[in-house]
Amino acid sequence: MDQLKALNELGNVEDAKTSVESFQYIVIRLGEEQFGIDIRFIDNIVKMQNITRVPKVPAYLKGVINLRGEVIPVMSIRMKMGLPADEFTRTTRIIILKSEQQGNVGIIVDEVKEVVMLETTQIEKVAYDSKDNTVNFVTGVGKHNGDLISLLDLNSITLEENA
Amino acid sequence: MDVSQYLEIFLDETKEHLQTLNTQILELESDPENMDTINEIFRAAHSLKGMAGTMGYKRMQNLTHDMENVFSEVRTGNIKVQPEMIDVLFKCLDALEEYNNNIQQTADEGTNDNEVLIKQLNDILNGAGGAPAAPQPEVKKASIEAAAESSSDEKWNDIALDHSQIRVLTEAKKMGKKVYGVNVVIQDSCILKAARAFLVFKAVEEKSEIIVSNPSAQDVEDERFDRDFTLIVVSDGTVDDIIKAAESVSEIAKVTGAELVLENTRNYHPIEESDRSVSDDKKTAVAESKPQAAAKTAEKKQTPGKPVVNRTVRVDIEKLDVLMNLVSELIIAKNSLVSASNQEREKNAGFNEQIEYLESVTTNLHESVMKVRMVPIESVVNKFPRMIRDLSKSLGKKMELYMTGEETELDRTVVDEIGDPLMHLLRNSADHGLESAEVRAQRGKPPVGTIFLNAYQDGNNVVIEVGDDGNGIDIEAVRNKGIERGVITPEQAANMTDKEVIDLLFLPSFSTAKKVTDVSGRGVGLDVVKSKIESLSGEVEIKTKLGEGSTWIIRLPLTLAIIQALMVVVGGEKYAISLGSIQTLEDISPSEIKLVQNKEVINLRGTVIPLIRLPKVLDIESTRSEDENLIVVIVKKGDKQAGLVIDELIGQQEIVIKSLGKYIKQCKFISGATILGDGEIALILDANALI
Repeated sequence: MDQLKALNELGNVEDAKTSVESFQYIVIRLGEEQFGIDIRFIDNIVKMQNITRVPKVPAYLKGVINLRGEVIPVMSIRMKMGLPADEFTRTTRIIILKSEQQGNVGIIVDEVKEVVMLETTQIEKVAYDSKDNTVNFVTGVGKHNGDLISLLDLNSITLEENA
Repeated sequence: MDVSQYLEIFLDETKEHLQTLNTQILELESDPENMDTINEIFRAAHSLKGMAGTMGYKRMQNLTHDMENVFSEVRTGNIKVQPEMIDVLFKCLDALEEYNNNIQQTADEGTNDNEVLIKQLNDILNGAGGAPAAPQPEVKKASIEAAAESSSDEKWNDIALDHSQIRVLTEAKKMGKKVYGVNVVIQDSCILKAARAFLVFKAVEEKSEIIVSNPSAQDVEDERFDRDFTLIVVSDGTVDDIIKAAESVSEIAKVTGAELVLENTRNYHPIEESDRSVSDDKKTAVAESKPQAAAKTAEKKQTPGKPVVNRTVRVDIEKLDVLMNLVSELIIAKNSLVSASNQEREKNAGFNEQIEYLESVTTNLHESVMKVRMVPIESVVNKFPRMIRDLSKSLGKKMELYMTGEETELDRTVVDEIGDPLMHLLRNSADHGLESAEVRAQRGKPPVGTIFLNAYQDGNNVVIEVGDDGNGIDIEAVRNKGIERGVITPEQAANMTDKEVIDLLFLPSFSTAKKVTDVSGRGVGLDVVKSKIESLSGEVEIKTKLGEGSTWIIRLPLTLAIIQALMVVVGGEKYAISLGSIQTLEDISPSEIKLVQNKEVINLRGTVIPLIRLPKVLDIESTRSEDENLIVVIVKKGDKQAGLVIDELIGQQEIVIKSLGKYIKQCKFISGATILGDGEIALILDANALI
């Protein structure tokens, strides 16, 4: 996870003296907002499917799905971020994130839009407000064709509630 | 030559041979005249020696060599088997095991020469009265008497040559070189023996090539020799040249030498003999030929590097063949499915047929793969008779171990883990369980205590019972101890059932042994036994009767990955309950439910069983109305029972257990998940956690 953080920070380095690095992000939609997820941490994107509920777990953990014989937990990123509950539509997708430590985990998104290439110069760091009680899920904002894409901090998303 | 690649095989085979030796020597103790046993021991020791030699483990080789000498004397009838001898032999086996463990960890045998043991072995040999000419093992600290007694100067004939050495010598002869034996005696007054010997070595090496040195060059260098040492050399020149060279060193008393006739050397004959004698016995012949074949390829010994020894499963070839056949069938079935789907609708019947075929093949395939992982518990329990024998001696109690069902098979991972808990229970029985001889006599029990270990398969479980006919557990003593230790209050103690009191024994650091012995009573014990067995998804129970003995019953799942389960529906969701914990299924009318201490219970054939409403536990709405009859699954955990109320039954199914992952761990009573035929996931309910 430290590595992940370091990589994210690397992406945010504004000093462009070294050759400009660029990373690929998958642009997803949650409600009206667009978010970017670093493609290196994505294992798979699958269509919405039947999620088996697991009792006695935090509400944002929607349950488990069967991904080619593997049991993968799925969480609602909306609930984790305090957004209104998910509405499953035809565009709803589950993005399977790779995590060495905790095993793969899926997050539910409203739509997967595109893959963009963002150079480090296009990313602006978001000041981290430690007084803010809500966990900061965004590490930076990328500018692409006039749109703003909030880059998700996968680290804080996949962390458990009280951690 | 690098022998490191053989290290795994060596370790495996050494373990096997040690086990054979252990068992056979035990047998020998009870039946000292049994020739078969003695032969078997001799063969095992011989193979062990050959293997150790090939691998370059000199110390191990030396020790086994001396053991072999003793066995060979026993075999020829020159020595009678005596209890002291058995003790020494067992100590030797322990030493060998230590070497083996060292080798496993560091690829080196360690530095313990076990000279005491070698001395004891030699004493046994020397004690063989009436056979003064009995071959003395000329290894390392060969006794002084032996050196003095040996009137012949041709000591080189006494050197035990191994196969590779014999081969080198034979080849040298073929190349027209001469093989000489040289014996060098250093003056008594000499102070720096090692230095002199070193000079002799140097001098001799200028004229010839030293093939064998006895004692070994290393020992000579370290001054671990008496007054003389013997060399076998290969040279182009005459023996006089070599003797002259050796004599040129000062403080040398005498140098003798002669051409060496291979056939006269000590080990040349016995090997051939033993080979011939076993040639009828196919099994042992194979066992023998292995190390020999290995020996032939070993030209020069080297200390192997540090290979990482993996855990291996030795698999019966037949099991693998079955597996292979099933895989081929699977491919055929798959191919026919492909072609059937190409022809499509017209032959729908054929399509279904192929699918059924495919299904049966995969089921069989799965079974045989599981079997590959299964090993008999024999490998673990075999060491117990020896352990009990040792305990019997050290505790001064007479006891006998009876074992049945050693052939019962369990998953390899389980077998690997089960050894320690079983050993602990057996030690417990020996130390605490069995009474002293006087008490036994008072109680009218036979003087020899009985300890038993029975293993058998029971459905999807393997049951291992360990017990004794000793004192049993003194429940009152445990109760008092519990109060004394502050684990329970006196009030609690009064209300506790015997069963609950016995469960106290499984608490960490709860030992009722009055004194701490070397065998048990150190406070680490039953709690470790219990946690180990539970980590294997098993359970332990105790049956005990004061004065009559106790039995520990260990129940282990046959495999960890696949279980038979009952599929049920709760609130529209599918769940699996392990069949192992289910006793019965009951249809209960709502009127039969009673309230006891505000908890719902039912009276089922005289037993009051608490009800657990699964929909409530699982936070889901039941699909059944209040006045309908309840479907209740009666589950048990040890002596405890509970009724799980479910909505619907689906049926029995074999399920593959999958982990829910580290992410979901809060849920205690969900032990995992399984994927159903339609790709859906069903959670597995852990009945043990619910009760």
